[in-house]
Amino acid sequence: LTGLFRNVVGGKTLTKQDLIQPLQQMQNHLLEKNVAREAAARLCASVEADLLNQRTANFTSIDSTIRESMSKALTRILTPTSSLDLLRDVTTTISPPNPRPYVISIVGVNGVGKSTNLSKIAYFLLQNQFRVLVVAGDTFRSGAVEQLRVHVRNLSELSRREDVGKIELFEKGYGKDAATVARDAVTYATNTAGTEGNGMLFDVVLIDTAGRRHNDTRLMSSLTKFGQLANPDKIFMVGEALVGTDSVAQARNFAKEFVDTKGKLRNNGVGMDGFIISKCDTVGDMVGTLVSMVHATGIPVVFLGVGQHYGDLRGLNVGWAVDKLMK
Amino acid sequence: MVLQDLGRRINAAVTDLTRSATLDEKAFDGMIKEISNALVEADVNIKLVATLRKTIKASVKFHELPPHANKKRIIQKAVFDSLVDIVNPHQGAYQPKKGKSNVIMFVGLQGAGKTTTCTKLARWYQARGFRTCLVCADTFRAGAFDQLKQNATKAKIPYYGSLTQTDPVVVARDGVEKFKKERFEIIIVDTSGRHQQEDALFAEMVEIQAAVQPHQTVMVLDASIGQAAEAQSRAFKETADFGAIIITKTDGAAAGGGAISAVAATHTPIVFIGTGEHLLDLEKFNPQSFVSKLLGMGDMQGLVEH
Ligand SMILES: Nc1nc2c(ncn2[C@@H]2O[C@H](COP(=O)(O)OP(=O)(O)OP(=O)(O)O)[C@@H](O)[C@H]2O)c(=O)[nH]1
Ligand SMILES: Nc1nc2c(ncn2[C@@H]2O[C@H](COP(=O)(O)OP(=O)(O)OP(=O)(O)O)[C@@H](O)[C@H]2O)c(=O)[nH]1
Ligand SMILES: [Mg+2]
Ligand SMILES: [Mg+2]
Repeated sequence: LTGLFRNVVGGKTLTKQDLIQPLQQMQNHLLEKNVAREAAARLCASVEADLLNQRTANFTSIDSTIRESMSKALTRILTPTSSLDLLRDVTTTISPPNPRPYVISIVGVNGVGKSTNLSKIAYFLLQNQFRVLVVAGDTFRSGAVEQLRVHVRNLSELSRREDVGKIELFEKGYGKDAATVARDAVTYATNTAGTEGNGMLFDVVLIDTAGRRHNDTRLMSSLTKFGQLANPDKIFMVGEALVGTDSVAQARNFAKEFVDTKGKLRNNGVGMDGFIISKCDTVGDMVGTLVSMVHATGIPVVFLGVGQHYGDLRGLNVGWAVDKLMK
Repeated sequence: MVLQDLGRRINAAVTDLTRSATLDEKAFDGMIKEISNALVEADVNIKLVATLRKTIKASVKFHELPPHANKKRIIQKAVFDSLVDIVNPHQGAYQPKKGKSNVIMFVGLQGAGKTTTCTKLARWYQARGFRTCLVCADTFRAGAFDQLKQNATKAKIPYYGSLTQTDPVVVARDGVEKFKKERFEIIIVDTSGRHQQEDALFAEMVEIQAAVQPHQTVMVLDASIGQAAEAQSRAFKETADFGAIIITKTDGAAAGGGAISAVAATHTPIVFIGTGEHLLDLEKFNPQSFVSKLLGMGDMQGLVEH
């Protein structure tokens, strides 16, 4: 950022006029980082509200005052209001008095990385000794079932070698109704027969779904039935770091499909439980999608995909993201 | 359809301006700003938007316009021309020849739609009388060969791939050699997704290319890509020197400005667009009609010939 007002040093009361141009530059900076314009405008408005009529600190230019305020605004928007502890949640759910399998589904538009990141989550759960049932809920796209079969075979091999957890694939081939497959899978995982008093067959059920355009009303509305039949504990949406402005509409349109049978949006009215932002390794510093999707919905980012291998899944480090965005 | 909302907004901005009572320079600047905003929201690269803004200003020369000039028409033409200029790289794409083997290799980022589009394109040529086949040189992605196999089987197109060979260079070479011997006319080679940050993946792309010597390398781009489009496509261009672009998922809601920026950055023609997940969802791309469509046809269309 090269600012016209770089040399103004300290003790200045900021007027709207002072702020217009440096804020415009700041907005352009965010746009270059692939933050959607709507989100960038909102962030700049909050910085303006924060700084208007404030005095700049000694030896501090308007630019650096704005940078500091923007870092704070970004930190605020990206920091989840409640933290998700997936492992603890799973442990509680599968423990007495009412043990049952913990169900997670993954949704998102075409090709963003749903199946791959589902496999990474499976790997993470296996490492923590859980028994995982992967469900081939994409009964449409060619090769979708085989893709998961390969992942489950690989992970099964790994878990045997490292003597952790266990993993299996639940599939009914192509053309079947995904919601029904998902429900049957949960029933199967809950099965106690043949487990020699070990309780249920599986601890976690991970359901993959077919990619769909968020402007395809028919496929989108089938998500509602899916959510109700499978009744997942967590619905995670995968959004890719590569996507531009469409991220905002993607997030909103997916979230609004997840209503319960009474027509109320799941998860306290926000619809879904978290975003997985994939392909972060492909965009350098342009990690704006993180901001855009949270801005659109208030739903937190829970994981980042940072590569194509099983270990390439991270929790969100807000400081890391803000550094990249402010660079 | 890609860019339609953008077109509507641009048209509205021009119309608003020419309808407003005081058509002065300030209103003109306001219009350019509104157009720039629309382009940014459509994911057009932000530096490219700045250039476009300058081009329009320079070609209209607002303060030099005589009082009775048809300002609306002059402004519309400037906007139209600068947009056509972006999607029209003034370069033709490779035309496959009947009676010889034309090798077409697909490259692109992860999940862009390469494998799906390979079969669509194969079917397109097959329907036009070419002997067409597919080679799966993606040995990395889980289930990649099954995906291509199932698509090819549905489309009744011969295919080659391996479940045991892990080196994509070997599979690509063997497949292309086999099909050349069998005198296939269009041999389409699918490769795995990759990105510029991973050198090994780019090196692999170069090796595959050296092994199959494609007549045409096609970059597949997702219509929803944002600001990363320019850097990635530039890197692919420098490394693989692709000669054509196919934009996929144009049936989505994205405006496609990122993909357009890739065209601008690489001066490479868009040859086809993908319009759905099914085999027949592929259309030929035409820059003139694309921009006319983008601008909502109407009175802009007459400008095409000028
Ligand atoms: N570089 C990188 N690639 C990724 C990441 N996550 C997924 N991919 C790649 O993205 C491509 C698509 O991944 P999939 O998991 O098949 O995507 P999907 O959303 O299930 O796709 P559909 O089911 O067809 O909608 C694959 O090549 C993955 O290897 C990531 O974090 N980084
Ligand atoms: N709606 C829509 N979906 C498409 C289109 N083209 C491809 N897809 C979908 O996008 C997803 C990814 O397509 P693939 O063909 O697997 O992409 P890829 O580039 O081969 O992926 P990798 O090999 O993993 O890099 C799939 O779900 C496809 O069905 C299109 O034009 N429209
Ligand atoms: Mg998938
Ligand atoms: Mg592929």
